[in-house]
Amino acid sequence: MGYVTSIAGGFKTLVTGLGVTVKELFKKPVTLQYPHEKPELSPAYRSLIKLIRFDELGTHDCVACMQCVNICPSYCIKIEGGKVEGIKRKRATLFEVDFALCSVCGLCIDTCPTTTLEYSRLYDEAGYDRNWTYDLLAEYRDYEPEFREKQREVEAKEAAEREAKKEAAAKAKAAAEAKKKAAEKTPEKGDGDKKGGDA
Amino acid sequence: MSQKSHLGQLSEHVREDETYYLNMGPQHPSMHGVLRLLLHLQGETILECKPIIGYAHRAHEKMAEFRNYVMFLPNTSRVDYLSGMISNIAYCQAIEKLCSLDVPERAETIRVIACELNRIQSHLLWFGTFLLDLGGITPFLYCFDDREEILGILDRVTGSRLTYSYGRFGGVTLDVDEVFLQQATAFLKRLRKRFPMYESLVADNVIFRERCDGVGVISKEAAAKYHVTGPSLRAAGVAYDVRKAEPYGGYDRFDFEVPTRTAGDCLARFEVRMAEMEQSCRLVEQAIAKLPEGPIGPPKLIKKLKPPKGEFYFAVETARGSSGVYIVSDGSDTPVKLKLRTPSFSNLSSMPEILAGTEVADTIAIVGSIDVVLPEIDR
Repeated sequence: MGYVTSIAGGFKTLVTGLGVTVKELFKKPVTLQYPHEKPELSPAYRSLIKLIRFDELGTHDCVACMQCVNICPSYCIKIEGGKVEGIKRKRATLFEVDFALCSVCGLCIDTCPTTTLEYSRLYDEAGYDRNWTYDLLAEYRDYEPEFREKQREVEAKEAAEREAKKEAAAKAKAAAEAKKKAAEKTPEKGDGDKKGGDA
Repeated sequence: MSQKSHLGQLSEHVREDETYYLNMGPQHPSMHGVLRLLLHLQGETILECKPIIGYAHRAHEKMAEFRNYVMFLPNTSRVDYLSGMISNIAYCQAIEKLCSLDVPERAETIRVIACELNRIQSHLLWFGTFLLDLGGITPFLYCFDDREEILGILDRVTGSRLTYSYGRFGGVTLDVDEVFLQQATAFLKRLRKRFPMYESLVADNVIFRERCDGVGVISKEAAAKYHVTGPSLRAAGVAYDVRKAEPYGGYDRFDFEVPTRTAGDCLARFEVRMAEMEQSCRLVEQAIAKLPEGPIGPPKLIKKLKPPKGEFYFAVETARGSSGVYIVSDGSDTPVKLKLRTPSFSNLSSMPEILAGTEVADTIAIVGSIDVVLPEIDR
């Protein structure tokens, strides 16, 4: 008898389970039909890094400080750069990332002192060769000479302004000192007056 | 027959000509990862089992010796990729304790939310694949539907689905917003509704019970002998959870229980994990309610640090058990030695004793039930 009850009990659990799956049959499918439908990328989506174009500069602000190169755990960033005549900051002349090695950890982005790095929205990466080296400066290269020219002008102007300010400041300082000297004399007078009043 | 086996000495009670060897794995659809079990069989009974590991070795510990402390961060999520968030944050917490760095309360609470969501995700994946091993495909699909929600929620704030690298020394990378909290709350509500469904679909199912009840018993003694931790230990009746035993990362501020069972078999391990998911839900709820305002990290990013000279150990509870970071520092910015104690390794080491005397057909259920993650064993 125990045998029959256990079979009946077992059968009941199977039917209950089947009930769950049948219910699920009438629900909306949750599958995303991938190549036809694209998933919505998360706002924090991590992918290949890219250089941010700053509006005030019109270009990136990579100063080739090598901090990202030094912190990269995958050693996949290659930067060259240096001093440019007439510009205070250094400029990068080469910025390559081997995406095949990159582990998208974000340490380079966190460490960038000029905050010129961010994640790109690169998605669907697939290809037929093994070369995944990206030249991040490609889109900036054409503008670079023009930028340098402009930057030189701006900095020269700034330097001139600074000079002028310095001169003005020096003049103001001289004037202030003269005033101070004059002021030092006046309290003496006042003192004298006071004393006089007391007397 | 005088053929020498590559297992070395055979057990004495076995006549060599009546036994045979079976390689289960490394490429086996039910082996989680690339675990190879060399089974010595007599008929269908396992006489000896020898786990052979090393197929997924990536030398994480060695890599640590050539990188400074900050550069090792992305590696930590890849050691145990199913609870990548917990291991990643564990490493951060270890370094923070070692260097006595302060963590803002908001960052700590965000970490609890993220870690517990990650734990639920890991248990859900285990639940699905365990049933897949036992022959049930349907629950696997339902679990992955739930799991996908968590991955989506975490993806929104961390930008990654598995290998998060979310923690930074002294905080986290990105702040969570209102939407994240709403999504997490909605998910918990949804998951709570799914539990009864899993119960009636799986836990009550007669086939499932027959295959798990009394199978692969890890006794308290065996667990202690092999340092088995996590749900496998709690299923044997020991209420040891690092979160309770040595509270870290603000877990002492929250109210949660450590579910235990006494049977120590596959069914008990299943029940413990299901109960743990409910506890994780409670933790996430409390953390969302308590989430304070404030900074999420140190004012200045830590790019390089030099911990004091000495040896240091820090353990956390991942989804699989007690996971530890052991650091030997010589005062420079690179560790002399960084050893990771991974729970799967200890749990798997109990297998030769547990599997001896069981049937081949139960191997999958038993090995599946202790929830091994191979990359974590090999690291």
